[in-house]
Amino acid sequence: MSGQLSADIVVIGSGIIGSLAARRLAQQGASVLILEAGPRLERARVVAAFRNSPIKGNWMAPYPPSPWAPHPIYVPQDNGYLKQAGPYPYPAEYIRAVGGTTWHWAAQAWRLVPNDVRIKSLYGVGVDWPLSYEELDPWYQEAEEILGVAGADNTGSPRQHPFPMEPVAEPWSMRRFRERLAPAYPVVANTVARNSRGYDGRPACVGNNSCQPICPVNAQYLGINAVEAAEAAGAKVVPNAVVFRIEHDAKGRIAAVHYYAPDKSEHRVTGATFILAANGIESPKLLLLSASDKYPNGLANSSGMVGRHLMDHPSTSLTFYADEELWLGRGPQSPSSINTLRDGAFRSQHAPYRLDFTNISQVLNVTGDLIKEGVYGAEFEKQLRWRAARQVNVKNVLEVLPNPDNRITLSAEKDAMGIPKPEAHYAIDDYTRRAAEVSKADFARIAELMGGTGLRYSAEGQFANNQHITGTMSMGNDPASSVVDAFGRTHDHENLFVCSTGVMPTAATMNSTLTGVALALRTAEHILPAKNAHAATAHSSHEASLA
Amino acid sequence: MAPEEPDSVAARRNGPVDPSRRRLLAGLLTAYTASLIPWALAQPAPHADRGAFTALSAILVGRQALDAAQATRLYDALAAAHPNFPADVQALLTLLNERHIDPQQLQGVLDGEHSPLAPLPRQILGAWTLGVVGSGEGARCVAYETALNAVIVADVLKPPTYAYGAYGSWASKPL
Ligand SMILES: Cc1cc2nc3c(=O)[nH]c(=O)nc-3n(C[C@H](O)[C@H](O)[C@H](O)COP(=O)(O)OP(=O)(O)OC[C@H]3O[C@@H](n4cnc5c(N)ncnc54)[C@H](O)[C@@H]3O)c2cc1C
Ligand code: SF4
Repeated sequence: MSGQLSADIVVIGSGIIGSLAARRLAQQGASVLILEAGPRLERARVVAAFRNSPIKGNWMAPYPPSPWAPHPIYVPQDNGYLKQAGPYPYPAEYIRAVGGTTWHWAAQAWRLVPNDVRIKSLYGVGVDWPLSYEELDPWYQEAEEILGVAGADNTGSPRQHPFPMEPVAEPWSMRRFRERLAPAYPVVANTVARNSRGYDGRPACVGNNSCQPICPVNAQYLGINAVEAAEAAGAKVVPNAVVFRIEHDAKGRIAAVHYYAPDKSEHRVTGATFILAANGIESPKLLLLSASDKYPNGLANSSGMVGRHLMDHPSTSLTFYADEELWLGRGPQSPSSINTLRDGAFRSQHAPYRLDFTNISQVLNVTGDLIKEGVYGAEFEKQLRWRAARQVNVKNVLEVLPNPDNRITLSAEKDAMGIPKPEAHYAIDDYTRRAAEVSKADFARIAELMGGTGLRYSAEGQFANNQHITGTMSMGNDPASSVVDAFGRTHDHENLFVCSTGVMPTAATMNSTLTGVALALRTAEHILPAKNAHAATAHSSHEASLA
Repeated sequence: MAPEEPDSVAARRNGPVDPSRRRLLAGLLTAYTASLIPWALAQPAPHADRGAFTALSAILVGRQALDAAQATRLYDALAAAHPNFPADVQALLTLLNERHIDPQQLQGVLDGEHSPLAPLPRQILGAWTLGVVGSGEGARCVAYETALNAVIVADVLKPPTYAYGAYGSWASKPL
């Protein structure tokens, strides 16, 4: 064993959520160390790797896993990292690198709707959250101001203060959807962490339409921006540090974490307070891996709930040709959606959903289709232009209810470092499937209003995954049924906190990162109050001081 | 493998020194196939294999012009990926020359006859339009911005990762 590192706060994982918690704590004067399993990446190299990739539809191509910190890869072949126990596959996607998965996110930065946190009381399904939407509001605001969120007040999520920025300019294609679907469906701008003007030293969007493999110009906020902000505030990042065990003392407090460097040398890091922020799959894996004589089921797991209640957002979709030229691909990838189905009395019967329009250029898919169909000669060019101008897609984003049988466990198989791989147990229940069925009528109506032809519904019973990992370390007031309390502190270990979308007790219908960030900022405030904390936090009890 | 000087480039630079190199693409075609690509007939085809590839490419992608340097790159990549490539190209061109198959019917005919040439048109079209040669783990990107699927829509779209234009320029009607 070599190298002794120590800090007031030790954060495991340098994703957007861990890094923003780290930044806030470093700003309060704490010494903060971030341990990150993966390597540093360089934006220009990621862009070049994407351009040189033979499979342009594979957004993971520019992010090859490192041998010491693998992540799941499915194209061209499954690398077998995330084991699938079934019955339904859960092909989660994430990136283990400095900055984490948001290197290639769509930057949709949504708030929940207020009723999302009370679905048990209101609709008799799922669970209630241990906090209200009103309590979340100031943390959403703080998160939105850090990320630079652009949006308008018409998405169903109330707010006390204005968005930091106007919505991003609406692409022509989305304007036509908005005009033609009104009044049946109000199409509104997504709230996004994408600049509609210069913000915090980063430029306005210039429409590269590659937001999900990589934003080449730094117009959308990424985890790497959070890392750099944390470093500027004084936090230290140790890349290529694969944490494999969390160590507790006789009283159950966390004493240290252990990591492997790529050469498999072991390092022990001590601290006063520990924040687990290694995402909704790797974090519960690490808690389970850290089982000891005192905690044979893993840390923070006296409830047995670590890894359980795995949720995400499955989608079904409709692709069709509009009767006019829309030319998707001009401007950002995910600009607009329909938000009126996010809540309603129907939630007692079936899942709510958001309807989301893609603005991803259709040229690649259409080219592939034409090659597959064997369209040659002058017809190829004609068809390519016709279809690329008219092909559109609408998908639902469906809520999944918490179910303890959907879970992450440790696989018997190990990675190259000898660490067990995560294993997913997943099923999509009737509550969600019924909503998929209901939304088909919306798809059909939307196609009709757009003069749609060549309607292609996604295959019956097939759901695409949206990579919003939730629930695996759920928060709650009852230590018997939840992993962390309303402030993200593990019920079992006084100085171990979790910052992750994995603490969300339900998934709602919104991409979960902004909620994860808001909760993490609230956790950071709880650990070490900011000198100018906003009024809403005045009631909350704080950790007295750092040990 | 050392990059060989592409014949078409050599021909352009050196001029017609060797009379045997003055062969034109037209010489590889019959009246039927020539009628499919009239614009290409006067292109030099000093090397029969590459000439056949150019002719076949022109028929399959149906473009009014094909970039000679790109043709060279794609030919080399395809020949490296598929051992029988030059002979298969000749065979498919011969088939088109002799049987006057409409490009629109081509895939159906090849599939229907279980022809060993059936994968070839897709390989060539994929190389030109996606800029990709080979498949699965062996796939290689040979072109991106200059792949025909980018060129064909260049008046409306930029290939992803290239800036569309100033902020908000995407709000206007595309054409
Ligand atoms: C294609 C795609 C598009 C998406 N689009 C959106 C969107 O538009 N809106 C939205 O809200 N969400 C989106 N998401 C989800 C979003 O990326 C995640 O919610 C977000 O990244 C979660 O942040 P995080 O910091 O918790 O985890 P991550 O970003 O995954 O970061 C976790 C970090 O922990 C590190 N780590 C893991 N294990 C260890 C270990 N053992 N030791 C040390 N470090 C470790 C990892 O290397 C990683 O850097 C998208 C995801 C994908 C894949
Ligand atoms: S459209 Fe381009 S500039 Fe805008 S966020 Fe996406 S990748 Fe960045």
